[in-house]
Amino acid sequence: MRQLPLAAAALALAALPPAFGSNYLTGVALSGVVFTVAAAALNLVYGYAGLLSFAQLGFWGIGGYCSALTVTRLGGSFWAGLLVAALVNAAVALAIGLPILRTRRHAFVIITLSFALLCALVARDWVSLTRGPLGIPGLPAPRLFGFGFTTATRFYYLVLAYAVLALGFLYALGGSRIGDTLRAIKQNEPLAQSQGVSPLPYKLAAFALSAVVTGVAGAIYVFYLKVVDPLFLDFYYMQTFLIVVIIGGAGSFWGVVLAGMVMVALPEALRFSNDLRMVIYGAILVVAMLALPRGAAGWFADRRLAALRAALE
Amino acid sequence: MQLTATYLLQLTVNGLMLGLLYALIAVGLALIFGVLEIINFAHGEFLMLGAFAMAFALPAFGLLYGPALAVSVAATAIAGLVLYELFLAKLGQGEFERSILITMGISMILLYGMQYLFTATPRMVDTSFGFAGVTIGAIRVTWSRIIGGAVAVAAFALLYAVLILTQFGRAMRAIAQNRDAALMVGIRPRTVARNAVMLATALCGLAGAVLAPIQLVQPAMGQAMIFKAFALVIIGGLGNMAGAFAAALALGMIESWIGGFFDIIWQEAAVFTLMIAVVLVKPDGLFQRGGMRVG
Repeated sequence: MRQLPLAAAALALAALPPAFGSNYLTGVALSGVVFTVAAAALNLVYGYAGLLSFAQLGFWGIGGYCSALTVTRLGGSFWAGLLVAALVNAAVALAIGLPILRTRRHAFVIITLSFALLCALVARDWVSLTRGPLGIPGLPAPRLFGFGFTTATRFYYLVLAYAVLALGFLYALGGSRIGDTLRAIKQNEPLAQSQGVSPLPYKLAAFALSAVVTGVAGAIYVFYLKVVDPLFLDFYYMQTFLIVVIIGGAGSFWGVVLAGMVMVALPEALRFSNDLRMVIYGAILVVAMLALPRGAAGWFADRRLAALRAALE
Repeated sequence: MQLTATYLLQLTVNGLMLGLLYALIAVGLALIFGVLEIINFAHGEFLMLGAFAMAFALPAFGLLYGPALAVSVAATAIAGLVLYELFLAKLGQGEFERSILITMGISMILLYGMQYLFTATPRMVDTSFGFAGVTIGAIRVTWSRIIGGAVAVAAFALLYAVLILTQFGRAMRAIAQNRDAALMVGIRPRTVARNAVMLATALCGLAGAVLAPIQLVQPAMGQAMIFKAFALVIIGGLGNMAGAFAAALALGMIESWIGGFFDIIWQEAAVFTLMIAVVLVKPDGLFQRGGMRVG
């Protein structure tokens, strides 16, 4: 467990924000943690399996609406809402994943994008279920054995607990034989096939697992926002997840986790206007893709390799 | 709503006009995919640039349609040249995901940059025609729509002639059909790719300029159209211009008819559900891309 000190340091850092006693700061950090989890889930499909999936945005929205509707319509608890969000997302991901993973990678990108847009259309136009643009406001604070997650600090630790669980799972998955197989498929699919690996079940598993992780993150996040409306499926969220993965380095677990915290917290702390922030995100994306195609983690890996080569000569 | 022949005809005319606009965007996307094997995420923003160029050029030319149209087409072609030389030329073969992310970044810069500079408020664009129109029987169509449709038809006629008759167009088709063979007979891929991007963005700018007097002009106008255009390109078979054209015309009609009789959600969702249905049956789209023909 070479990474243990790194994990302990990250956790200690993540436990800090509420100590400053500012609700605003805690909220920013909370968003950062949620987005990091969603980005890490995207990293599973894009970074490990090499599938650029825009469907993550749809799963994020489905998760948010599922938990909100479970509580407001079915009278279930927050925890039941999370379970419903996870199950629905897994079912949807398996159902749509099977046909679209058969298509070429060019078509895959566009079809997953259309799926996300369809989800947004349903949220906006199926008024009898989702209340359309009005959204579902007044989501109650979650409770556990009489303990209410009513303040920003309490909610922050709830989110952090989920993040540790989800990131731990993704980390273990990335290091497992499944993670290795996914990487092998990404690098050379015909070669992996020639070794007796059938790519489809692995890709489908990665797609569905990332859908569940993203969906539950969305399901938790709407209860912090206390409202879910079609703007929760705005393309802005997808762009944020993607940028975190790209800057951190697709396929690098720690790169993505660090980039998540930095990328979300930085512009919030600087308090740019939303338009200007998106311009800066766009510029960062372009520059990163031109200069650091493998993200910060890839850049460091290249430096290390170069140093090793120099030492050998 | 009473179903009359006039109402149906009105819907069809509107649908045809809409379909031609979709086609201007989708054919450009298909051209870029055919030659460069990338999808230009910023394509919708070129539509928006064309519309804004029209909005600024019209008052400058005393509301004259023709010169303003020429200016916006030229402006978007130049913007396409910049896009290619600065960004797309740096992409290697098979870097599909990277191309999407780069063009997505450019789209964000253009969209939110315009929103920052000019705010998201929609603006009206006036031409020398105003709201005058012609009435044929019981159907009324404004001049800006008629001329828009005529300009689109003329653009397609010109595009067809260029692709079939000129060396410029033949080289593009050659690369789209078989890259290696095209290189072997001495076609320069960089020049052809640059031409293809400029042609595609000019078509898109034309669509934006035509749209400006018909619709409200706002920074987000490209995004609504471009996602549909992506779906159209998939339905038509990636890189197949004729397929994209046919799919776009069909979609315009379908949307217009659906809009006349059903809720708006079906109109908006039609293209995406259609695409998913097509992909389930034929993963490579309705019209397969023209490979090498034998015999």
